[in-house]
Amino acid sequence: MRRQLYEWIDKRTKLSKYWDSIAKHPVPPHVSDGVRTNPVYCLGGIAFLCFIILVVTGMFLAMYYKPTPDEAYDSIRYIMEEVPMGAFIRSVHHWAANMMVAAVMLHMIRVYFTGAYKPPRELNWVIGVLLFLLTTAFGFTGYLLPWDQLAYWATTIGIQINSGIPIVGSYIGKLLMGGNEIGPNTLSRFYAIHTIVLPITLTLLLGIHFILVRIHGISGRYL
Amino acid sequence: MRVRGLAFFPNFLLREVVIMFTTAASIFLLASLFPASLLEPANPFETPKPIFPEWYFLYVYGFLKFWTWDIGPLKAKTLGIIISMVLFPLLLFLVPFIDRNPEVNLKRRPIAVLLGVITVAAVLFFTIYGIIFE
Ligand code: HEM
Repeated sequence: MRRQLYEWIDKRTKLSKYWDSIAKHPVPPHVSDGVRTNPVYCLGGIAFLCFIILVVTGMFLAMYYKPTPDEAYDSIRYIMEEVPMGAFIRSVHHWAANMMVAAVMLHMIRVYFTGAYKPPRELNWVIGVLLFLLTTAFGFTGYLLPWDQLAYWATTIGIQINSGIPIVGSYIGKLLMGGNEIGPNTLSRFYAIHTIVLPITLTLLLGIHFILVRIHGISGRYL
Repeated sequence: MRVRGLAFFPNFLLREVVIMFTTAASIFLLASLFPASLLEPANPFETPKPIFPEWYFLYVYGFLKFWTWDIGPLKAKTLGIIISMVLFPLLLFLVPFIDRNPEVNLKRRPIAVLLGVITVAAVLFFTIYGIIFE
């Protein structure tokens, strides 16, 4: 049965031809010697796992959330109080987000101190910094969505700070707010950025990031 | 390429899976013990105190409080924003192009290691500064 299924799929996909080159690349001994794995090399993977958890829990939240000033707060309260498992799903989304930022920062620190940004990996470092900035942008846009006091006022300060950048600041501020103040336009565009723009951009960049890691292999020993 | 080493699949991935389960379990545990909060509805006419940004923006926040010096025509606030929001990310992007030392051994790149430690320490310092001076 298993054999038949395997053959049916393989006839149609020719997966076995590519499988070894996808999956059988060796991991160098300073990363894992078969008994012990150096955990600093898992941080990128941990960040990726958090992202997957965020996508899945985010899908469920999006089924109930309403991105307008009149309804946003009540829809979150509905999720917290009425929806089965709603409070848990929202809390998992919350904690996975914080965990992802922490993992990305630690991953960046690991890449820095192992010198893994050196040739030929410069481009992947640059993509990495973009991934880091996008990850924090996820946090910034997500913070407004509950439309409670903290959300509103923390975003007000964040936008003020962004508007203080010389020359481009006032445009960034207007662009973020969708006008001259935080209101319905701000909320709907933060929602669009948080659930469409950033996930698509991050996914594309992650694809390039992972392909480059496979092309280069993991960097050499640092000690 | 390399011949030595452990095959990524399934040997290495199996070890990763253990770490992944631990990560997922900690997220679920944290979510059960400390649910996400929801304060009063937003009120544009009443500023609450204190307002904290997400913890990973606190270093910017702290730095803006810390930097109180005008330089020439540039106001302290503008300078603080330029340094923490423009120069710092720019510097991060440029790391591989600034550090041209091909050595990857920690012991043979003292300057890069020192700068890295200083940067991490500074980010931690300004994060704490941002909390204390709220
Ligand atoms: C969404 C965030 C990110 C994810 C999911 C991610 C994922 C990964 C994964 C799975 C690896 C394989 C090795 C490992 O896990 O350590 C890796 C390697 C790498 N990452 Fe990331 N990464 C992210 C952000 C970053 C950032 C912020 C940087 C640096 C600024 C960066 C730079 C690199 C480099 C240079 C490598 C190659 C390391 C080597 O060959 O030793 N990445 N990334």
